[in-house]
Parts: sequence; C-alpha cells; structure tokens
Amino acid sequence: MSLLKQDISLFGDNIPWFEGLREKARKAFERIGLPTAKTEAWKYSYFKEDALNKPQIDETPHECDGHCHDASKLPFAAVELKYCNGKLTHIAHDLPCGIIIRPLYEATEDGEIKPYLNKSFDMEEFPFAALNTAFLDEGLFIVITAGTILNMPIYLHYHQHSGMNRLCNIRNIIVIEKGAKATLIEDFDGESDARYFDNIVNEIYVGTGAILQHYKRQNEASEAHHVAFNSVQVKSGGKYESLIAHGECALARTESCVRLTQENASAEVNGVYRLAQNGVSDITTNIRHLAPHTDSDQLVKGVLDGKAKGVFQGQIHIAPDAQQTTGYQLHRALVLSDGAEVDCKPELEIFADDVKCSHGATSGDLDAEQLFYMQARGIPLAEARQILIEAYLNEVFEKVEDTAVAEWLKGRL
Amino acid sequence: MTQKLLEIKNLSAGIAESGKEIIKGLNLTINAGETHAIMGPNGAGKSTLSYVITGKSDYAVTGGEMLFEGQNLCTLKPEERAALGIFLSMQSPIEIPGVTTQNFLKHSVNAVRKYNNLPELDAAEFLKLLRTAAKEFDVSTDMLKREINVGFSGGEKKRMEILQLSLLQPKLAILDEADSGLDIDALKIVANGVNQWHNQNNSLLIITHHLDLLKRIKPDFVHIYSDGHIVKTGDMALAEELETSGYKNYLKASV
Repeated sequence: MSLLKQDISLFGDNIPWFEGLREKARKAFERIGLPTAKTEAWKYSYFKEDALNKPQIDETPHECDGHCHDASKLPFAAVELKYCNGKLTHIAHDLPCGIIIRPLYEATEDGEIKPYLNKSFDMEEFPFAALNTAFLDEGLFIVITAGTILNMPIYLHYHQHSGMNRLCNIRNIIVIEKGAKATLIEDFDGESDARYFDNIVNEIYVGTGAILQHYKRQNEASEAHHVAFNSVQVKSGGKYESLIAHGECALARTESCVRLTQENASAEVNGVYRLAQNGVSDITTNIRHLAPHTDSDQLVKGVLDGKAKGVFQGQIHIAPDAQQTTGYQLHRALVLSDGAEVDCKPELEIFADDVKCSHGATSGDLDAEQLFYMQARGIPLAEARQILIEAYLNEVFEKVEDTAVAEWLKGRL
Repeated sequence: MTQKLLEIKNLSAGIAESGKEIIKGLNLTINAGETHAIMGPNGAGKSTLSYVITGKSDYAVTGGEMLFEGQNLCTLKPEERAALGIFLSMQSPIEIPGVTTQNFLKHSVNAVRKYNNLPELDAAEFLKLLRTAAKEFDVSTDMLKREINVGFSGGEKKRMEILQLSLLQPKLAILDEADSGLDIDALKIVANGVNQWHNQNNSLLIITHHLDLLKRIKPDFVHIYSDGHIVKTGDMALAEELETSGYKNYLKASV
C-alpha cells in the first residue's frame, strides 16, 4: 500500500505503548485497505485512485506568517487554535479557567492521553481512522474540567496553502468532564489551488451531565480531499449537539459515530451541504443507543447544483435493552440541476420494542409557485432562488444555540 | 386626453406544456384611472388571464399582443412587469416557509426601487415605511415577524396583499378573487385599502364572482368573460343583472 510506504520520522517511537499502537494500526490498514466502490459504507463516495496515491506527508516545519489566520477573523470571542498545512501552529494564550489544551506529543509523552487514545472505536471498522493512527504525530488534547461552563467557543482553524500534495493526519482528543459545557468550532479552508488530503479523527468524550456543542464547517479547494471521523461517546445525562456544514471540495466526508452509553444521554447530529461545482459531500452518521432513555435527532438538508453529488447515510442502532429511547432522522435535498445527484441511505437497526423511531427523505427542486410569487413582487429570479435556498437551510442553522455562531456558519457556506 | 395603460389586442394564450388554448382572441383596453371588472363562470380561465398578463411561465402567448404604457409585455420577465407597475393579488397568496414577512417585503420594495433607479431603502427607512402602512391595514408587528402567509387566515392573507399594494404603489392592480374567503370586516379593509390607493393615474382590474366587492369598489366597466374572450361589456348594471339571472344568457348555447 503506497500510502504506508512513506519514509518519515514520527515522534514517540521510544514510547512502547504508543509505537505499539501505530504498528497495530499499520497492520490493520494493510489488512483492510482503502474502501472501494464495493465497500458498503463507502459505495456512494469512494475515492478515485489518484486521490490517494500521490499525497505525501509534509515533513517541513511550517512557519506561518499569520496572514492566513487573519482571513478567518471571527465576529465573536473564541479560544483560537490553528493548524496550517496540517501542522499545529498556534495555541491561544491566556486560556480561560477550566480548560487544558496540550499538543498531542506532550500529552503522549507523559501518558495523559493513554486512557482516551483509540479507545472510542475499532480500527478494523474504519480504514481512514486506522491510517490516521498509523501516522499519529499531530493533534491536540483538550480537556474541559468538571463543572466548567466555557463562555466562549474553542475555535480550531485548519488552513492549507498550495504547494505539495499533502496527506495530513490529525488527531484531536476532546474530553468534556462531568457537568462541564463547551462549544467547539472546526473551520476548514485553503488556497484555491491547494491540493491535499485531510484525514481528521476527533475522539470526543462527553461526561456525565456534560454538554458539547460541536460545529464544523468546510469549504475548500476543488482539488482538496477531506475525510473526518468524529467518534463520540456520551455518558449519563450528557448531550452532544452538532452541526456539520459542507461546502465545496473534491470530496468531503464527515462521519459521526455517536455512542450513547448511559441513560438519558442524547445527541443531535444535524447537517447542511451546499455544492454547485462537481464535488461530493458525504455526511454519514451512526447513532448507537446502548442504554435506556437515550434520545437522538438528526436533520440534514442539502442544496446541489452543477454536477455536485450529495450523500447521506444515516444509521440508528438501538440495542436490546435500550428501551424508551427515541431516534429521529430526516434528510432533505434540493436538486437544482439535471447533472446533480443525491444518494440517501437510511438504516434503522432496532432490537428493543419500546422505542420511537422515524426516518424520512425527500428530494426536489425549488417551488415554482413560490418563485413566481416573489417575481410577481418584483424580486428578480436569481435573488428569489437565493432567498428560498437560504430559507430552506435556515431550519438547520436555527438549531445552533448561539445566534452569532449560527450567522457566522451561515455566512461561510 | 385619456392615457392607455394596458392594451390587449386579439390575445391568444394557453398552457405552455400541453399547448391547450385557454384565451382566444381577447381584446381589452384599460385607461389610466379606470376600474374594470371581469366576471365569468368558474373554469372560464379568468385567473389564466391574470397570469398571462403578469408573465407566469406555465402559460404561453400564441398570438396577439399586450402593451403596457406602449411597451410590449411579452418579452419581459415577471419581475420586470412587476417593477414597471403591474401588481397581481392572487386568489391564494403563496406561503413561503422560512422567509419572514418583513424580510420578503423589504426584498420586494427594494427590488422595485432598484429597477426604477431609485436608491434602496436601508433597514431603518424601510421599517418606518412598513410600520405606517401596517398600522393602516391592521397588520400587527407579530404578523410581520411571521413567515409570509404561513398559517395566515384567509383575511390575514388578503390584508397582507393590500399592504403590499400600498407599499409598492403600482400603476395597475389585478385583484384575482380578492374577496374570496373574507368576512365583512376584512372585505371592508381590503376595499378601503384599494380605494385609498386608487386615483386618476392608476387602474384596477378586478376578477370576481360577487357583487359585494364591486359595490365597494365601483367599476367603470364590467366585462363578461367566457370561452376565452369577452362576450359582453357594460357597467355596474350588468353586474347586477348577472346577480339575478346568472351567466346563461351570455354563454354559448350548449349542444
């Protein structure tokens, strides 16, 4: 497998448990290989061969002059962190009380990360997470300590410059301890001619009664590939509320696997996607209800134009003893051109009998009567379409609690 | 001298997709300041006429011409016709989930201003204009914040249409069944709104079944429309005659 045959040096080869994990991952990846069109979980959005044969791990240390950081000036206060070309280049100073942020290597050297690293998923099921583990080198370990209510979001900006075709494996571990509350925003962008393959894995642990609001936005170059895996575990009474916003990219896939492991844990996994060129957006979810009285809700809406393709795969799994749970899912897509395509695959696996579950999917064009009504009031057709599209997606953005964050997410799509 | 506002000459039009002809050689001239009423049986295609004048793409003109202040309407998009001053109040105003009434109205007013080379109104200026008009037509602030027409009662929808008429100040207003589903109070508000806007420089085309609205908005001409064209033109007396004896005297004898 050419991807593994990269002669590079990674930190931590003197830490036996850590190097052992990477070695295990290399073997797992060699065994399972990359997904193809025949891999069920990837059948709608498999990679063309050259996407994965050419990217190289970039070993040159990146000295960021900061100009790309300015481009993302935020309209709200945040704890700002930055990756540039896949390298951690900036950690905010003066952190608020109750938040610990450390680079991956540091938390690995003193072993603090050990209870969390690769503990939330099985590599055999996720080829790109195995690849990510095989090249573990860069990432963050973020802890919100028990009872802390963070009053500003943590903002992770990932920026890519043009230049070599990079493979970037980043691992973030986010731990929200008992009763804490935080907002995490991830923002992916790059120069318009940048070529790269981002392979991001976030392991997220939401403690008892804790809340994490996780918002992710990507709008990237037409040659960029983006694969992100959110492996989330939610304990008793904890809440994971998320929104995935996909824009342009050659292929962007965000897979959120949420395990509701204890009673009264809940998750909201919402998404929007809007593409007008020839990219592919794939939002894949897997909500696992493993305890009674757990709730999940998903609303994903997309707008496709040009030759774009949208994929939604949503799985809800309800374990035999997860009684009195609710699991709802709705996917809707606007398909504005003949060349655009949408693929939707809902899967419900219900092994308990006292549950409320539903799923639904629709696709269609903008409403001709609404467009005419607006035109008959003087609003030009293009503007009317834009208003209707925004109104359509707004339903999802309204689920974001902080309106300033919601507006910002909207404006970046 | 009377000024021709809308001139329809020997117009034929039908459904774009199927080619089915609905309007067959219709002639109608509306001068500035006049009020015309079109009456006719259900299914005669009265609403089709309003859509053809405003340019709905479901319908295609197959013959004749339509001039608005001398300008050929057939080559203009619906939004251009609206911006030139043609206003259509639909029988069933369309609901648009996700778009607030206030936002919709602001887009509308500014689009029309922009087309006519007038500066667009900023948020404060627009709000001032809107509040004044809303008060006049008994439209609450709460209603302005709701999604346009979504969950509005029949009366609320029609009041909203008249509010738009007042905001846009068109030259020609086509009221398609503006009276349907209205109680007496709502009918009064609609009629008063229309009468307030109406003057010697603008015109009205009212499509209706009922005398109620015509008693409140006095038409200068009443036309009977059947089988795709106007079969009889008269004044208010004709409308009153229809009220008692129906359309049977004016329809083609059925075989």
